[in-house]
Amino acid sequence: MKNMRKTFGFVAALVIYCVFFYYVMTKDIGRAWNFEPFGAYSFFIFRGWLTTIYISFIALLLALFIGLILYLMEQTNFSILHYLAVIHKNIIFGTPLLVIAIVAYYYIGNAFEIRSKILVGTITLGLYIGAYVSDIYKGAIESIHINQWQTAKMFGFTRFKTYRYIVFPQVIISILPPLAGQFALTIKGSALLSFMGTSEYYNRVNNVIANTYLNREGFLIMTLGYLLITIPLIKLVRYLEVRLNYKN
Amino acid sequence: MKLKIDNLVKKYDGKIILNAMSMDIEDVQVLALIGASGSGKSTLLRLIAGLETFESGDIAINDDWMSREDIRDYRKKVGFVFQDHNLFSHLSIFENISLILEKVHGQKREVFTSEILSLLTYFGLDEHKDKLPHQISGGQSQRASIARALSIKPEIILLDEPTSSLDPVLTCEVLYAIKKLVDEKKDVILVTHEIGFVKHVADYVIFMDEGRVIEQGRDILSNPKTEALQAFLGKVLSFA
Repeated sequence: MKNMRKTFGFVAALVIYCVFFYYVMTKDIGRAWNFEPFGAYSFFIFRGWLTTIYISFIALLLALFIGLILYLMEQTNFSILHYLAVIHKNIIFGTPLLVIAIVAYYYIGNAFEIRSKILVGTITLGLYIGAYVSDIYKGAIESIHINQWQTAKMFGFTRFKTYRYIVFPQVIISILPPLAGQFALTIKGSALLSFMGTSEYYNRVNNVIANTYLNREGFLIMTLGYLLITIPLIKLVRYLEVRLNYKN
Repeated sequence: MKLKIDNLVKKYDGKIILNAMSMDIEDVQVLALIGASGSGKSTLLRLIAGLETFESGDIAINDDWMSREDIRDYRKKVGFVFQDHNLFSHLSIFENISLILEKVHGQKREVFTSEILSLLTYFGLDEHKDKLPHQISGGQSQRASIARALSIKPEIILLDEPTSSLDPVLTCEVLYAIKKLVDEKKDVILVTHEIGFVKHVADYVIFMDEGRVIEQGRDILSNPKTEALQAFLGKVLSFA
């Protein structure tokens, strides 16, 4: 009974959203929906969609690594490394991704003669998200109770082994929810790489819109394409979260 | 056990916690540190374990003087039982022990598995070996913590108020486990408020107050000489 009520609530809310957007779009469009021309571009769009997944996935992996390095740099007593991390984070936190993407491609990329837009885009996104991920690590690691550190120290664990066997296995559980949000932000942020001319999903759908003048249909496809990536991802992380919480 | 402490000074934020403490104890199996909260007994135990740094002084267990350079080796000789068991929360009871033996002491799984199982059986934890710490009671967790301390075959076991957060029934459970250690002739240093238990098992008692040793000896509980210890015992045993 409770499940039925939940399902009904979900379907009703979904219908309300669909009706609202259908009304807005139909009112604005002043003509019948026309998705037919998109058929010819379907492979072109699909490849852009895959590129978005690829860029986001690699960027997130990079961000997980960069975030950890930034966290460790920030914690070190070696002041140059500490301030390199602090300054990096301040620049990232205080600057829009769009600005960083343009500077990264047109200036930094050019200066180092990196021509691959996907490479520059992925690294830029990784460095950008990495700053946020380092704060996720920081929160998770600092939430590990001091008792756990002391016990590891007492039983002779080195600093590396303490992180490897005691801290990180506990950190992974607590970083999953914020990381899911971060991955969703990475996917959405990848759209800004279109300003570099990267052939990701947003850019490709935009190209098709420019060719067909079918803006509303294009933006609908674009929205659905992004949701198709982010919703299963968020579901997966929620599932893992429940599993791991159960285990612990 | 032999315990030598020479002019030990410990400060926290400039405040003196242990004040030029010295002691030389030999041929003792169970040493109990007693005193009111804040007297410095837990701090002293943590310094003996090599868990904290100190301003000046020296500590030696069985004639092995502690030094910063080989502190990790020094700690390997000491088994420590914390106030709140401090089991690793993401590992099962078995893994809490096996991880230390495998990753710190470099032992082979086929060697230590049976040892751990017999240790857990000894402390009545065999059926809980695969459970996580939050799935067992406080008394069971504390017994697991004692088993873990014992698993590294330490020269000496230090227990820091192991029953302070337990109810009377669980306290009794843990005291029986400690009694087993004593019966096995393990060298033990125990910080506790369980004066009745101290009377029963300790062969040397140190009474501390405000970071100083006020009285020490083998029979100070039955024959207290200082007013401070008499007052302390008067309070803690008033309803005994």
